[in-house]
Amino acid sequence: MKAVVIFDDILERFSRYGLISSLFGILGLAVMAIVFRWMGQSPMWIDPLVRHLVFLSAFFGGSLATSKNVHIKVDLLTKLVEKSSSKIVHWLHRNIVALFCFIVCLALVKSGWDFYLVEKEFGAPAFLEIHSAYLVGIIPFGMALITLRFLNQLILGIFGGDPREPHRL
Amino acid sequence: MSLIAYSSIFVLALFGAPIFAVMAAFALTAFYFSGTELSAVAVEVYRLASAPTILTIPLFTFAGYVLAESKAPVRLLRLCNAFLGWMPGGVAIVCLFVCAFFTAFTGASGVTIIALGGLLYPILIQEGFSEKFSLGLITTCGSLGLLFPPSLPIILYGIIAKVDIDDLFLAGLFPGIILMVILGAWSMYQSRNNPKKKHEFSAKEMIGSLWEARFELPLPVFVLGGIYGGFVTATEASALSAFYVLIINCFVTKDISPVKDLPKVIVESLTLVGAILLILCCALGMTNYLVDEEIPMKILEAMRTLITNKWLFLLVLNIFLLIVGCLMDIFSAIIVVVPLIIPIAEQFGVNPLHLAIVFLTNLEIGYITPPVGINLFISSFRFNRPVLELYRAAVPFLLLMIVALLIITYIPWFTLFWFNS
Repeated sequence: MKAVVIFDDILERFSRYGLISSLFGILGLAVMAIVFRWMGQSPMWIDPLVRHLVFLSAFFGGSLATSKNVHIKVDLLTKLVEKSSSKIVHWLHRNIVALFCFIVCLALVKSGWDFYLVEKEFGAPAFLEIHSAYLVGIIPFGMALITLRFLNQLILGIFGGDPREPHRL
Repeated sequence: MSLIAYSSIFVLALFGAPIFAVMAAFALTAFYFSGTELSAVAVEVYRLASAPTILTIPLFTFAGYVLAESKAPVRLLRLCNAFLGWMPGGVAIVCLFVCAFFTAFTGASGVTIIALGGLLYPILIQEGFSEKFSLGLITTCGSLGLLFPPSLPIILYGIIAKVDIDDLFLAGLFPGIILMVILGAWSMYQSRNNPKKKHEFSAKEMIGSLWEARFELPLPVFVLGGIYGGFVTATEASALSAFYVLIINCFVTKDISPVKDLPKVIVESLTLVGAILLILCCALGMTNYLVDEEIPMKILEAMRTLITNKWLFLLVLNIFLLIVGCLMDIFSAIIVVVPLIIPIAEQFGVNPLHLAIVFLTNLEIGYITPPVGINLFISSFRFNRPVLELYRAAVPFLLLMIVALLIITYIPWFTLFWFNS
């Protein structure tokens, strides 16, 4: 289990640094765009680059939301499960939800990867000569990051107790 | 087979599966059964990267979190107390103003109650307000500024409904003020037998507090003055606000250490943003499928037999949204429900801006509606009180908010004033 915990910690740090770097990138470029506009210039690449950084940060944020278990939920019947004193009910609930999320995210990785392959074949350079396939590649990359977080949760949930308990190194 | 798949997804949603996964599962299943390539879901997800106002979500949220983490709440509290504390209901009115300011920037994500609750609650009690009133007021105020710019739900609504965000900011002003006036009047009424002596009006304290809050005061001017003065767009206003707040709090007032505190604030604020944007990504696939299948039109056809005019439609919509608001959080509700109701509302001749404000007011009320209004739980956690006590405390405020909702719904003038003239 230690290997899973270490791996999850690496993903956590990667997501944190990715998120912090993205925010500084977004803020710096957005302010730069305003300054350029006031100077009568408008580089065409800033706006799409900023939007793609926001897009990337959504996945980093999603990865952290997964590890902190703070994803937005309806939670209507979760209270019933929480009231139950049976450990098996809690165990089943936690792991079924994690398994469901893992499968859905894996399907999204596949969906994103297929889109990436299509873009690689038929796409074209977008802004700053970056090929559109790399931009689209944010989806499989970001979803893979979240998928791995759910996989870790699932492994820790099944074999190593409640993954929502702090297990940071 | 498809029925089993959809039912399973629905049950998992009720048992706490993340909304983004539920929506993605729905979209993947729908595309699978309709024989469409699954990569179509990724194509829909990628549409988020081309939304022009997407930048406003992380930047305004970040600015709000930085403010909440700094000493700005204390400074603004002193300012509002100096200007409004002498009025009947004094500190309760102050509470309304400070919370509205903060919620507008933090997007009613519970930060207001966490950041300001601990400051305001003892002052309210000290000033002679009952525990029940104080708890109810702070719980309600946690989502009070939701209709004021640059609130995150307004921006999200604009992106989903494809309504101009600048117009939405304007449309929410009067309805937001109505809510504050009604709650303010109730606070004054509650303080009528308050034995505590009113604050003395002090010009010296006013000037002192004004000077202390000199760095926070320009923020609404940046946002409103910048956008409506034609100097900046909503996106640029978000960038300037975030940049300004960062520089001021890290290097001028030094409330936030750039090394120790800032990474924590960034991670906290953008984790929330990430969770919202993921839902938005996955919802694009689902809503596109619903629109393609003409689901809103089918609902409309079914409704036409029972609902014959705009006003009846708005009444039914209010009841529906109040139920949605107390079951779902505001972000999921906007993403899931808005694409369904817009075409229907259009058919009944409801103005899109009026619809937006009615929608958001309903969901604002949903924050304090038992049994699962999120502010009730946040307050219960923050003040260490049983949630049932919070239910009782919130009921008078809930009724007052419903009165405000009826005014906003049936007198569209308040929303459309800026556009009629």
